[in-house]
Amino acid sequence: MKFIKPKDINNLYETIDNMDQQYLLAGGTDINVQIKNGTIRDPNIIYISHLKELSGIEEENNSILIGATTSFKDIIESRIIKKYIPLIHNSLQNFASPLIQTSATIGGNIANGSPTADVIPILLVLDAKLKICSKATNREVFLKDFFTGYKKNVMKNNELIIKIIISKNVEHKYQAFYQKVGSRNSLAIAKVAVAGIKKVVKEKIMDIKLAVGSLNEYPRRLFKVEKYVTGKTLTEIDFNKVDEFLQQEITPISDLRSDKEYRYHVCVNLIRTFLNE
Amino acid sequence: MKISFILNKENVTIDTDPMKRLLDVLREDFNLLGTKEGCGEGECGACTILLDGKPVTSCILNAIHAEGKEIETVEGLSQTKLGKLIIDCFDETNAVQCGFCFPGFFVSSYHYIKTDGEKDLNKIKKALSGNICRCTGYKKIFESVMLACEKLN
Repeated sequence: MKFIKPKDINNLYETIDNMDQQYLLAGGTDINVQIKNGTIRDPNIIYISHLKELSGIEEENNSILIGATTSFKDIIESRIIKKYIPLIHNSLQNFASPLIQTSATIGGNIANGSPTADVIPILLVLDAKLKICSKATNREVFLKDFFTGYKKNVMKNNELIIKIIISKNVEHKYQAFYQKVGSRNSLAIAKVAVAGIKKVVKEKIMDIKLAVGSLNEYPRRLFKVEKYVTGKTLTEIDFNKVDEFLQQEITPISDLRSDKEYRYHVCVNLIRTFLNE
Repeated sequence: MKISFILNKENVTIDTDPMKRLLDVLREDFNLLGTKEGCGEGECGACTILLDGKPVTSCILNAIHAEGKEIETVEGLSQTKLGKLIIDCFDETNAVQCGFCFPGFFVSSYHYIKTDGEKDLNKIKKALSGNICRCTGYKKIFESVMLACEKLN
């Protein structure tokens, strides 16, 4: 086991370029639990919390850039986020607990890639992009294309998420929706989470994005349902069809928190609620 | 690795494993036994401390997270005027039973009263939502924080 504290961001790129297997340590709220329960043994740790380039929220032209190690508390309290992307501000109020919000980071929630990660469905409907860098490369990947399987993603071993990029106007003229269902308000791991934004003109859904958490190997968009309801008014939507497409797009499981039938029905009801709003 | 920080208003330096849990640093290296380990996974709040003035669970932080920061524990905060008032209020409403969760509730309450302090039950519930008590229930705990807010106004 090695512990490395890079002196700056270039040194960080250099370090991960020369390592085979490493874990980046920012807030530590996931990795310390995984070390404690033995999921991760003798890890090589690279500490990144002190690197200022990775943290903070800024506006750039028509985008909002959120540094990967920005804490959820800073995101919730950000005036920029509250002004331009109220969905994030409102949805994260019950994220974990006030104590975890101070430590946990947005990049960590994404990179850890839990099927139940709270922030991912929200960022999916906002069509967020990730800026992913290594020593020699620099690319932007849409979050919808980032995950490839359970806790698997498109990043190479020497890459890391630097920033989350969201368009400033993403919520303009859109209605936003987020509902997380857990056993309690605080410190709940979602049984089901549904996020959505839609633009309705003269009762017709002109554009819609829907995403779900805790219902697949990773949180994902519901492209088939989106496509079916787009261009329709509420009366034109056949909800049996919605259910049919939904069944093709979600694969709920039964586990200690809930069972698959419950998850499916709650998901259906939440989507109906949003469409009816 | 040498790690320096401010602990209860004093400059300190320790030579330790940077991955050692901050909770264990406080309890073992500094004998500050007020900060408790409950779940050890950040969910119960028994290990709550202030890191740069903000409440965090020290069981899922590492020694390295303290570097260059200011840490305040129940031992330091309870010596302040506000800390003493909060303890008196918990006492007055009989909010503490076994006491194991109390240091965590105390630190979260201290932070709420210091940064907001409005006598608003919903706000208080939210501020204390990262702390769990398995004995008394929460009603008396909330009452004691309400009382502290009232006394300060």
